[in-house]
Amino acid sequence: MIALPAPGPRLRAVLPLLVLLGLIVALAVAVPNLASPATLLLLLADTATLFVLAAGLSFVIVLGSIDLGVPATASLAGVVTALLLPGWGTWAFPAALGMGLLMGTVTGLVHVGLRVPSFIASLAAGGVTGGLTLWLSDAQAVTIGQQDRARLDWVAGETVGLPHIVGVAMAALLLGWGLQRLTPFGRFSLAIGASEAATTASGVRVGRHKVLAFALAGLFAALAGIMLAARLTSGSPTGASQLLLPAIAAVIVGGTAITGGTGGVVPTAVGALTVSVARLGMTFLGVDAFAQQILFGVILVSAVAITTDRASVVATK
Amino acid sequence: MLIGENLRKSYGNVEALRGVSLEVRPGEVVGLVGENGAGKSTLMRLLAGTQRPTGGRILRDGQPVTLASPRDANALGIAMVFQEQSLIPNLSVAENLFLGQDRGFVRSGLIDRRAMREAALRHLAKVGLDVNPGRRAGELSFAQRQMVELAKALALEDRVERDLVILLDEPTSVLEQAEIDLLFARVRALRSRASFIFVSHRLDEVLAISDRVYVMRDGAMVAEAQASEMTPTELHRMMVGRGVRTEYYLESRQAPPREEVALSVRGLGKRKAFQDVSFDLHQGEVLGLAGVIGSGREDLIRILFGFERPDAGRMDIGGRVYAPRSPAEAVARGLGFVPSERRTEGLVMTLPLGANITLARIRAAMAPWGLSRRRERALAREWIDRLAIRAPSPDTPCRHLSGGNQQKVVLAKWRTAGSRLLILDHPTRGIDVGAKEEVFRLVRDLSDEGVAILLVADTLEETIGLSHRMLVMRDGVVSAELPAPAGGKPDQVRVVEHMV
Repeated sequence: MIALPAPGPRLRAVLPLLVLLGLIVALAVAVPNLASPATLLLLLADTATLFVLAAGLSFVIVLGSIDLGVPATASLAGVVTALLLPGWGTWAFPAALGMGLLMGTVTGLVHVGLRVPSFIASLAAGGVTGGLTLWLSDAQAVTIGQQDRARLDWVAGETVGLPHIVGVAMAALLLGWGLQRLTPFGRFSLAIGASEAATTASGVRVGRHKVLAFALAGLFAALAGIMLAARLTSGSPTGASQLLLPAIAAVIVGGTAITGGTGGVVPTAVGALTVSVARLGMTFLGVDAFAQQILFGVILVSAVAITTDRASVVATK
Repeated sequence: MLIGENLRKSYGNVEALRGVSLEVRPGEVVGLVGENGAGKSTLMRLLAGTQRPTGGRILRDGQPVTLASPRDANALGIAMVFQEQSLIPNLSVAENLFLGQDRGFVRSGLIDRRAMREAALRHLAKVGLDVNPGRRAGELSFAQRQMVELAKALALEDRVERDLVILLDEPTSVLEQAEIDLLFARVRALRSRASFIFVSHRLDEVLAISDRVYVMRDGAMVAEAQASEMTPTELHRMMVGRGVRTEYYLESRQAPPREEVALSVRGLGKRKAFQDVSFDLHQGEVLGLAGVIGSGREDLIRILFGFERPDAGRMDIGGRVYAPRSPAEAVARGLGFVPSERRTEGLVMTLPLGANITLARIRAAMAPWGLSRRRERALAREWIDRLAIRAPSPDTPCRHLSGGNQQKVVLAKWRTAGSRLLILDHPTRGIDVGAKEEVFRLVRDLSDEGVAILLVADTLEETIGLSHRMLVMRDGVVSAELPAPAGGKPDQVRVVEHMV
């Protein structure tokens, strides 16, 4: 095993923020004129979709589980939105969100009820969802017609120069923070991630809280799908599939351990911004889009290695 | 052959071994007895190389040696037959026998299965076991697997140029009498090639098989004797020590229990674990469960707390049927569980003390707008004061606390949850003497408040000292019910008679 530096608990808590600030400063120095309020807003708007997807994922990762199906759910929600907008109007949004909630709940029920490891349950659910989406969309991107675009204003529009999408992400952040910080669900999630046995033995209904976390991941993924479709004015059946690696990276870079028991949506916001700034920087420095995926892979592995207290990991499977 | 000199081992600030010496001579079977927590298993782990001593030294054939891993120990001809069955169930018997030693069978990069099979047959013949080496270990009976483990240990002969020392840690706990006889016959037959250290709770067995016996108590070696000159009763007396320390267990504070029944159990049974268990547990009563490993008492308490469901019988709490399908349902009916595995089941070690205290009843920290950390801290501070928990702040993660203070946090959790019936599973395991006395005082406090307590303790002395009444279990049935009022505690030897 390679001896990577093991930061202490206090440093580990603020390290992600330091990394983010460092990156921003480095980028501002390397590319003058970049650090303007306009660029910052653009950055936030570009991060919003990734953040919402990653925030949902963080509910599951806090448990020490994983949901690989969230990009498929996001694509499904985008397609459902695009398909239903002409007939259903605004009701297309609750329908898409409901689909996400349903897919997440089913994933959670399979994982908990059948005792299937979460990565298998969610991989399978993602496959099913992906197939369903291709079938619904006839394997084509579904364009949202001119007449329906006004209904997308709450996501795609602007008010006095402020992109609404940033507001949507803020609302998701607030909701996620409230759920994690103020509800028993949030507390139990941390406890389950840190020690499922002790949480069970304390009389907590572990199963239903796990299902709830997966349901929330589905709901947030669906919201991310709607945001993506609104920005592109079309629902693509594979539109969100590129987001899996950056989303997991955002959660982990933010400081949520892949083994669970720490972190949450607020650290994930920091992580999502870090990923966005890194991507922006690479684009400005002329790094190829394919090479960016390579870099995300490297970043992800390093972040997992640093955030995990590996001394306490007995065996990795 | 093998000598341990003044061996010491500490875990944090708990001393498990305080200077223990023992000697194993060629061709000898040495018995090692002591109560739970006396340090037998720790001593065995040091000799088997799974843990390293913090002091003292180990000599093999007169040479000081360092046993940093089981591999080191094996290289010196020392092997352990594990108490928990350590064979890998989905590998074949032959593969298990040579696990990690398969290099000897590699021919041009591949494993020579025929050579491995022949070697396996040879080793199995030594222990008199007639099974196909190609069978999966999981298909064998417990007794057969035990024999395979023994054969695995003896297989060291081929690689080591000296006589072996085999450590047998509770090898009989899962065996039937006929199987035990067979094991003993093998051990006797193998004495020409190996020496044995034999650890067991069953004193008659130890005396039957051993030449010499060592007795341990509280991490020290308290006696050594020829087996032929001992009786089980004498041995037991040495194990527990002569002085009966009544005030240690605060016997003067033991008040008679109340009339009201907290839990009534009738005809409870679980296949392969226990049958027909009936008792009433009264409010304010401490009911001690005594029995050796495998007597069924561990299974019983896990069923009471809803981890598993019984096959037969019924339970009632407060006149209503109690049939928990999960610990959550048990907690909802007023039960609390202080598990023996405190670090994995008792506490969420990385969460703060305050979060652990409210885990079983999060409502205690809820404000109208949601979870209030301020309320949680206030509650935690209250318990820190009431139970004299030594912790810098309510935000301290539990893993930074000592064992005794961790146990107090577990108790604070159940008192916050308002539990009226507590199951204490080895509540003093791994905590130092001072902290033990504090736990005993807390048990008396709970009892005064009318909380019913079901106790499975580390030592028989502790069970007798704390209990109002005792249920003794043997082979899955209640073999005796003994009153243990203050001033009229039953004699340990009498209790042991019902246990074995």
